[in-house]
Amino acid sequence: MPSTLSRPAPERAVAPGAPPRSAVSISGADKVFTLSRGRTLQALDAVDLQITEGEFVAIIGPSGCGKSTVLRLAAGLDTPTNGTVEIFGAAPRTLAAQHRLGVAFQEHALLPWASVRENIALPYRVAGRRVDDARVDELIELVGLGGFEKARPKQLSGGMRQRVSIARALVLSPDLLLLDEPFGALDAVTRRKMNAELARIWAEERITTILVTHDVDEALILADRVVVMSGRPGHVRTVVDVDFPRPRGPETTRSPEFHALVDRLTALLDAPEPM
Amino acid sequence: MITGARTTTRIAYAAAGALLLVVGAQLIGQFELAGKAWPPLTDVLAYVATPSGSSLIQRNLLVTLGAAGQGFVIGSAVALLGATAALLVPILRPGLDRFAAILNAVPTIALAPLLITTAGREGTPAVIAALSVGFVMFVATTSGFAATSAPQQDLLTVFGASRRRRLALLELPRSVPAFVDGLTLAAPAAILGATIGEWFGAPQGIGLLLVSAMQNYQMALLWAAALAATLASLVAYLLLVQMQRVAVRRFS
Amino acid sequence: MSRLRAVGAGALHLWPVALVLVLWDLWVVLNGYTATVAPRPWDVIADVVDGFGDYLPYTAYTLGMSLGGLVGGTIVGFVGAVLVWWSAALSGVVTPAALVIRSVPITAMIPIIARVVGYGDPAVLASTVLICFFPAFVFTLSALTAIPDSGRDLFRVLGAGRAQLLGRYGVLHALPSLMVSVRITAPTAVLSAMLAEFLMGANGLGALFSRARSYMDMERAWGTALVATVVSVVVFILARLLERRVADRVS
Repeated sequence: MPSTLSRPAPERAVAPGAPPRSAVSISGADKVFTLSRGRTLQALDAVDLQITEGEFVAIIGPSGCGKSTVLRLAAGLDTPTNGTVEIFGAAPRTLAAQHRLGVAFQEHALLPWASVRENIALPYRVAGRRVDDARVDELIELVGLGGFEKARPKQLSGGMRQRVSIARALVLSPDLLLLDEPFGALDAVTRRKMNAELARIWAEERITTILVTHDVDEALILADRVVVMSGRPGHVRTVVDVDFPRPRGPETTRSPEFHALVDRLTALLDAPEPM
Repeated sequence: MITGARTTTRIAYAAAGALLLVVGAQLIGQFELAGKAWPPLTDVLAYVATPSGSSLIQRNLLVTLGAAGQGFVIGSAVALLGATAALLVPILRPGLDRFAAILNAVPTIALAPLLITTAGREGTPAVIAALSVGFVMFVATTSGFAATSAPQQDLLTVFGASRRRRLALLELPRSVPAFVDGLTLAAPAAILGATIGEWFGAPQGIGLLLVSAMQNYQMALLWAAALAATLASLVAYLLLVQMQRVAVRRFS
Repeated sequence: MSRLRAVGAGALHLWPVALVLVLWDLWVVLNGYTATVAPRPWDVIADVVDGFGDYLPYTAYTLGMSLGGLVGGTIVGFVGAVLVWWSAALSGVVTPAALVIRSVPITAMIPIIARVVGYGDPAVLASTVLICFFPAFVFTLSALTAIPDSGRDLFRVLGAGRAQLLGRYGVLHALPSLMVSVRITAPTAVLSAMLAEFLMGANGLGALFSRARSYMDMERAWGTALVATVVSVVVFILARLLERRVADRVS
């Protein structure tokens, strides 16, 4: 089905009956950083994570638990000391080289001299492809920035900058979307609004996604599965399936089931592990 | 943080760079790639090693350092006073700021005739050094004063601190890192200012030595004097950088 | 109306300059100096206005040498920094050496250049270029090595190579730092052009100054100083304007 690659959204959803393809496969990944004076720091200890195509997985954990390191392994920004990382059966670097990765960080990393439109079109230029203006327009609409095409980042609010950053991550219809605390610097109200928007956008594009966050509500609003990590050294503590129906509006987030799950995960984040 | 082995590599690179510089200068001189005006470094060092050469350089360097030191102290003190005045009497601020900028833009050579009539040939180097230092320090100190945050100011005001106490408790200590930062730039500026002053008929000094060696084609002496001036300015800079590290640790 | 008032207030804040003029005059009058010792400010200004045609070619020469050196040195420094950034080893090797060369006082550099290059226009230009080169090089290189991690990561994830990172990000990221170096070196460029002219004495305000001094024409000597100051201030203001424009556009 060659045509399915060039089209962004629903057509690419897994055909009914077909076995789901493995998107991300991290097995037995250790990560050891070398510090000054020969000291070392073990950031990850035997992390396993399997993600199938079209799945939205959130990784939560206290700060310093290595959740961002897992994301950096998937992005090919770091390599594991031991273990393997495969994305669609290949090395993560391959995916980046083929321009099939989308990424949004807490620091939006927008080019300050470029307009909203130019920032969103950046991945086309890096890939050496002709900019698909229709696709860029579509994304500007999708993230609700119509009318701000010519604005520069410093003229935008924090929330709007993150929308640009997410639009930039989506513009090439990547096979894998990596989000590292994209709303970490936003206030609580804007953050919830952005959660709802991201859920809506994801429902349209259905891209395999890893979201790193420390916000339990955010993880439960967005993800199909939540991976809970603990630190020193970072490892997967437990994995929880989230099967609330989508879209997860206020009626879901106000339900007792939702609250119960929030409480359970929050307790897992706070409590020391049984030895 | 994640740079254990990298520090050693950096030092190795820096050493390689220094070596490259020295060997390059030597080779250019050796093979006269830049003509006779570029002697091999070994010739320059041999000249410095002779008793007459070393005493000549030493004597003149001390004169220059004396003038530069005087200028350094006077310039810093005046700049500190000026910046404090601008802080306490805000209406003076725009005028003093602008004047400092103009003073900085004045090519110091242009001040020579004025200074020779007022400060005399011997005093001119120190005054030019003081002027060069003054601008740098004025800018550094005013930016240091501006580094205090509004909450800190409010806190002391709430405690009923007078303007003078606020200056002593907050602005002066807060401005120390910026002040010392300025000193690192001011030290080479002082040496440069002193040598410029010496071009205008000073009886002694490295600046005079540079001009007379150039005019008399004494290449070894010219290079030795240039090397001495460079070393002096580098050492002054590095010493103050060390001081700056201490100041930053203590006051910020 | 408010614009007029702003200009008025701006002029008012030049009070230290007016103060200097008045003190200068008082000092000459009270000491009873003759014009060969120290001229009065009004006589100097009159000499500049009356002899404008005499000053013009020298001023143009100095301005040309300063701007040429500023532009040339900045471009060479920028390109050099970009090339050196390409290789971590090379930048490690070159940066400390550049810092050492940067602390050579101009007064030591110019006599050497004068001898190596030979007296004349090339030596004056070489002096200004060399003096503007090192700050541009150091500022650009430090900006390039300080490219934020998030930007670096973004380009890696997008599958960009080093050339793309440099072309689409690094160069523009380093531009404000480069402009800071232009602003800082602008007055130095004028100073070094004048020092070189003074020393070699063929053309330019430095040469005019040197000549006036030897003929004891103090009004001309002080007039040259005045013109040089104006030139330097103008170059500095232009550089600062450019810096602000650039900083506003790329950040």
